[in-house]
Amino acid sequence: MARIELKDVVKCYGTVEVLRDINLDIKDGEFIVLVGPSGCGKSTLLRMIAGLEPISQGDFLIGGERMNDVRPRDRDIAMVFQSYALYPHMDVARNMGFSMEIRKDPANERMSRVKQAADTLGLTALTERLPKALSGGQRQRVAMGRAIIRDPRAFLFDEPLSNLDASLRVEMRLEIARLHQKLGATMIYVTHDQVEALTLADRIVVLNGGDIQQVGSPLELYERPANKFVAQFIGSPTMNVVSVTGGKNKVTTADGVAIALPHLKGTERAVEMGIRPEHIDVVDVNAGHLIGIADVVEHLGSDTNIYVDVEGLGPILVRKHGNIPAKTGDRLGLRIQSENAHAFAADGVALRQTNTNEA
Amino acid sequence: MTDRTSKSILPGGTRARRSLYWQYLVEPYLYLSPAIFLIGIVMMIPLIIGISYSFQSIELLKPFDTGWVGLENYQKLWSDRKFWLALENTFWWTFWSISFQFLLGLGLAMLLTTQFYGKKLFQALVFLPWAVPTFLSALTWAWLFNPVIGPLPHWMASLGILSEPYNIMGDPNLAMWGPIVANIWFGVPFFAITLLAALQSIPNDMYEAAEIDGASAWQVFTKITLPFLAPMIAITVMLRTIWIANFADLIYVMTGGGPANSTQIVSSYIFTTAFRKLDFGYASAIAVALLFILLTYAVFLLWLRKKLVKT
Ligand SMILES: Nc1ncnc2c1ncn2[C@@H]1O[C@H](COP(=O)(O)OP(=O)(O)OP(=O)(O)O)[C@@H](O)[C@H]1O
Ligand SMILES: [Mg+2]
Repeated sequence: MARIELKDVVKCYGTVEVLRDINLDIKDGEFIVLVGPSGCGKSTLLRMIAGLEPISQGDFLIGGERMNDVRPRDRDIAMVFQSYALYPHMDVARNMGFSMEIRKDPANERMSRVKQAADTLGLTALTERLPKALSGGQRQRVAMGRAIIRDPRAFLFDEPLSNLDASLRVEMRLEIARLHQKLGATMIYVTHDQVEALTLADRIVVLNGGDIQQVGSPLELYERPANKFVAQFIGSPTMNVVSVTGGKNKVTTADGVAIALPHLKGTERAVEMGIRPEHIDVVDVNAGHLIGIADVVEHLGSDTNIYVDVEGLGPILVRKHGNIPAKTGDRLGLRIQSENAHAFAADGVALRQTNTNEA
Repeated sequence: MTDRTSKSILPGGTRARRSLYWQYLVEPYLYLSPAIFLIGIVMMIPLIIGISYSFQSIELLKPFDTGWVGLENYQKLWSDRKFWLALENTFWWTFWSISFQFLLGLGLAMLLTTQFYGKKLFQALVFLPWAVPTFLSALTWAWLFNPVIGPLPHWMASLGILSEPYNIMGDPNLAMWGPIVANIWFGVPFFAITLLAALQSIPNDMYEAAEIDGASAWQVFTKITLPFLAPMIAITVMLRTIWIANFADLIYVMTGGGPANSTQIVSSYIFTTAFRKLDFGYASAIAVALLFILLTYAVFLLWLRKKLVKT
């Protein structure tokens, strides 16, 4: 268990920079989730931490020690691969105990550790099977068992659940959360599933195109996204963004509706306003800010999604709790909860909120 | 399906039963018959004729003595000192050839999975011996071992392997090493190609996982690479062993079995018996003996492979 620091880390493949100026300070025992669209460099960053990819520039420290040129085996880090990478010719017990076999630890100690890990992960009955005779979820657990048996300083997970079906994913997600609580180890977890990110993380790192966009707790990213990319990436369904003209403490939409945003600084610079689907109320026509026609109505039981066609602004998604008796073709008034609205300047940076202390 | 039920409701159960019999017992063999026929003509008939020759006396030099002789050829074989010598030579010839071919081939294959400057050219050169006709390489190696025109005896003498530069193929104790060296050179590409293909099919994350688990290069080789290669190694070693044991071309061109039969292997002995002494009956008996030895070996290796792969 240890603190992991990345200072101005850069990764290049030839002349192509795939990661730039990565600065991260991961506290001992913290659960960090890396999210971002495909190809943004999540796996590359994780593999650099594991030592499977050389670091082109910058410093990488574990527990205060510079680790840039230390071999993977000497970093004392365990990794769970997306493909699980179980050794197909070894049974479950040998797969899990392989690192101890390599270190030539006494066999009886290895047996007892394997048994303990198998008990923790519910694999006791399967220890003599080969990986090919296991289901996806069981293989995933073996891969985790192989990691925990070593009692490493940190765990790395590269999209460990992406090969599982939805219900198994929920189950394994809980199991990983439980494991983190039990072991208290530093964990770095790559995913592009934002539910996984929001539920597991102490802090989320949002990456895009090789740059860190924002680092923060799930709630922070949801409530105070640093820019338009994060605002649209975090939260489901996606935040609505409409073009506006900035003004003093307000913004004005294309068809002239002014929306007061007293909680934001520098609204004069705003060119776009963002509002999450759950922060729009459906009201009587003329009682709200906008008027539109319901285009598609999705009843999800617990929620209702209404795609409203607002003239001059395009489609706006509204999400309301419970069942809303709206149907396609209805004329609806929309009231924006302006205290929850976000505004973005021309470079996509979010305008800062006045009531939050900068921390 | 519908066809069969409609048949069974026809009056007269025997007819339905006969059609079932027809459908399951006879019809499949009709479809297979062209293949069975071809295999029979190409493989079984020559094999049966060959085996039957071994129980006859067929000597072209004694055309009036032809006829069935029972086990006489085999009795002669049992007490034939040259046959036992040839069998021993076959063993050493095959053993040293296959061992070096395999080890060098594996080394080259592992080298070719790494990245280095000039790899493409090197790869082409490695595969070249495979493309050279056997007789040409046999002649070339014979010349290389000849102290008058070849450099090898002089090199070996200066390295202290030989007391003076002479032709090792004239020395009954060393002569076998001439064809063996030529055979190693000739057979390495086969192992390099097949093992390279097998190596490249090992997923890279196996190696990464082993690296993170802390394995050293040697541990990765013995605990990951070799188990992955094992099935391929078993099958290629088996095929090549059988092939090399039968492969007399190099020996025939380089030493002709001499001096004093010291490089005679069973298959070259068969060839000499059949086409020099024109004794086809006895040659067939030797061939049948070789066939049984190799069959036993193949069964043993397949059994070994099954045992290894199961775990
Ligand atoms: N060996 C390589 N040579 C050149 N470019 C590479 C190499 N490996 C990865 N890249 C590039 O680096 C970038 C980041 O790749 P990476 O695998 O880290 O993405 P990712 O965020 O994990 O994506 P995904 O979610 O699809 O797994 C990609 O643009 C990829 O094309
Ligand atoms: Mg990835």
